[in-house]
Amino acid sequence: MRDNTLKYLLVLPAVIVVFATAIWPLIEAARLSFTVGRLNRPGSLERYLGWENYVWAILEEPAFWNSVWVTTIYTLLTVGLTTVFALGLAMLLAPGGRLRSAAQTLLILPFAMSPALIGVSFRFMFNPEFGLFDAFFGVMIPPLADVSWLADPKLAFAVVVMADVWGWIPFLTLVLIGGLASVPRDTVEAAQVDGASGWRVFKDVTLPQLAPVLAVVVILKSIFSLKTFDQVFMLTNGGPGTATQTLSHYIYFNGMKYGQIGYSASVAWLMVIPMIFLTYAYAKFVFRKADQ
Amino acid sequence: MAEIKLSNLTKRWGDFVGVDNQSLHINDREFLVLLGPSGCGKTTTMRMIAGLEDPTSGEIWIGDRMVNDDLPKDRDVAMVFQNYGLYPHMTIFDNIAYPLRVRGTPKADIKPRVEKAAEQVELTEFLHRKPKALSGGQRQRVALARAIVRTPKVFLMDEPLSNLDAKLRVTMRAELKHLSRALQITTVYVTHDQIEAMTLADRVAVMKNGIIQQLGTPDEIYNDPANLFVAGFIGSPAMNLINGSISGGMFVTTGGTRLVPVKALDRAKAVLGVRADDMDVHEEGQGDIDVKIYAFENTGESTLLTVQWGAQRVIARGDRHLRKDQDDVVGISLNQDHLYLFDPETENRIRM
Ligand SMILES: Nc1ncnc2c1ncn2[C@@H]1O[C@H](COP(=O)(O)OP(=O)(O)OP(=O)(O)O)[C@@H](O)[C@H]1O
Ligand SMILES: [Mg+2]
Repeated sequence: MRDNTLKYLLVLPAVIVVFATAIWPLIEAARLSFTVGRLNRPGSLERYLGWENYVWAILEEPAFWNSVWVTTIYTLLTVGLTTVFALGLAMLLAPGGRLRSAAQTLLILPFAMSPALIGVSFRFMFNPEFGLFDAFFGVMIPPLADVSWLADPKLAFAVVVMADVWGWIPFLTLVLIGGLASVPRDTVEAAQVDGASGWRVFKDVTLPQLAPVLAVVVILKSIFSLKTFDQVFMLTNGGPGTATQTLSHYIYFNGMKYGQIGYSASVAWLMVIPMIFLTYAYAKFVFRKADQ
Repeated sequence: MAEIKLSNLTKRWGDFVGVDNQSLHINDREFLVLLGPSGCGKTTTMRMIAGLEDPTSGEIWIGDRMVNDDLPKDRDVAMVFQNYGLYPHMTIFDNIAYPLRVRGTPKADIKPRVEKAAEQVELTEFLHRKPKALSGGQRQRVALARAIVRTPKVFLMDEPLSNLDAKLRVTMRAELKHLSRALQITTVYVTHDQIEAMTLADRVAVMKNGIIQQLGTPDEIYNDPANLFVAGFIGSPAMNLINGSISGGMFVTTGGTRLVPVKALDRAKAVLGVRADDMDVHEEGQGDIDVKIYAFENTGESTLLTVQWGAQRVIARGDRHLRKDQDDVVGISLNQDHLYLFDPETENRIRM
């Protein structure tokens, strides 16, 4: 009995912290999402509207769907590209070799940079007048000189994706190097002796055994991609127009800039839906792995 | 059709020498057993033949092709790994079928061949399971089946029966012997089990510290050991090695007993080797020397007497009906046709 009480007492502080910083804001946001919730109208934070904010977002607001679309494409692209590049790099760096530890240190560097910093530095690099890329393309591929990367909707989107992929590759590479290290070398060697080519060894033996780690990587990266805000904010601020406006940015814009707290709370809650799925899948994979 | 030639093969990791400048010619269709204590370089030698380890120097030939630069998949060898290397995500069937599949065997052929291999290793009922759901011995047999499902140029088997129970080991040994005769495929086989080595091998290579000590038929290795190491390593129980000297055509133990006549020149230090089977146990006073029993063991098919012989202990094999007790005194005589002399300095054999 006493042991049990102590057990609960010991986790209590953690529970309180989680409640205060995660659960409570979620509940409060849920409450706000049912109110008029205009920052510039006194009392509107307590004026209840029912589901009207949600209905408005889904039925009446093309900007909402635009940001859903942007976020979806953005997530698919960044998750896919980051995973593929990270896997390739991990394969190159995994087996021993002198380069390995030095390369790993260099690799972690981009991840140590804050997303906002990445946003700012990419913004400078793509500056049409004095940016690194402009100088580079001006010399190498003259037709691409003086292109305003961030002014063109498609190019701006590509740049945002690129910045994100660049920033995330290192971390995922490290995770995958760890994953590769846990694939028994025997099985790979057995396949080589059995007559499999390099590609078949990878496809038939390495990849299936890496699958649980890969799944965790994809899910984790999806969660982070869905939430992307800081890079977009620093790099394009959602523009040109709304070409790079992710959901998080849309929520921020409506809530902070236009003061429509109630409305943006409802959009935030709509975003929770895919998050719950992903989090559930993540937890399932992580704990399934721990079971083995 | 493939002989294997290793010439001046060396494997080094930094300062550590795993295999030291060894040359070995394995004939076509030969069954060669590598025998030696743990860490002597058996697996390393195999892995170099398979192409999983790059030799530091030296050449490897399979058939009339120098394969040093060939990838494992192009060497056409089948290997049983010491720790199996099964594919954990595939069923036993798929594990065994894998070498056939990657080599483009027609679909219709795969099933019967996998089933036949599974039958040979007595695994038919487990084909649909995953390796995780098998015991160690069963997994080892999957590894074996995966090797014998194909007819490669060379079989490499790294202790393929080490994890089987005694009964299954005997069956599998017979199965392998039969297979090797039937398929006539050059085989390199690593084992710690002397009986396996003696029964399966055409020739045995005894290794120590990365160096082949002796290469010969099982008969030669057992009855004509080249040096102290081979003499002490082969046989169970190992050959008795008695320290002493030779004077006036007699072997004299360090304790001063003039034991047996030997045909060798006088020397101050010599080691006499005699197998337990080449000693006869008599009643007290009727042998060459009387000794006290230190331990008496009955193995069922014979008896083993560990006796105190001066400062040394020596093992003699007695009749299976012999019954003695610790501290009893017995007479021992040596069979003078099967004595071996060694030089303790060089460890080499002194030929009589
Ligand atoms: N990758 C490696 N790096 C350094 N040393 C190694 C490496 N692989 C093997 N060795 C060493 O080489 C020696 C020979 O190893 P090997 O595996 O060939 O022994 P073995 O004869 O097969 O022994 P066992 O009977 O225990 O399987 C050992 O001392 C081992 O520690
Ligand atoms: Mg070994």
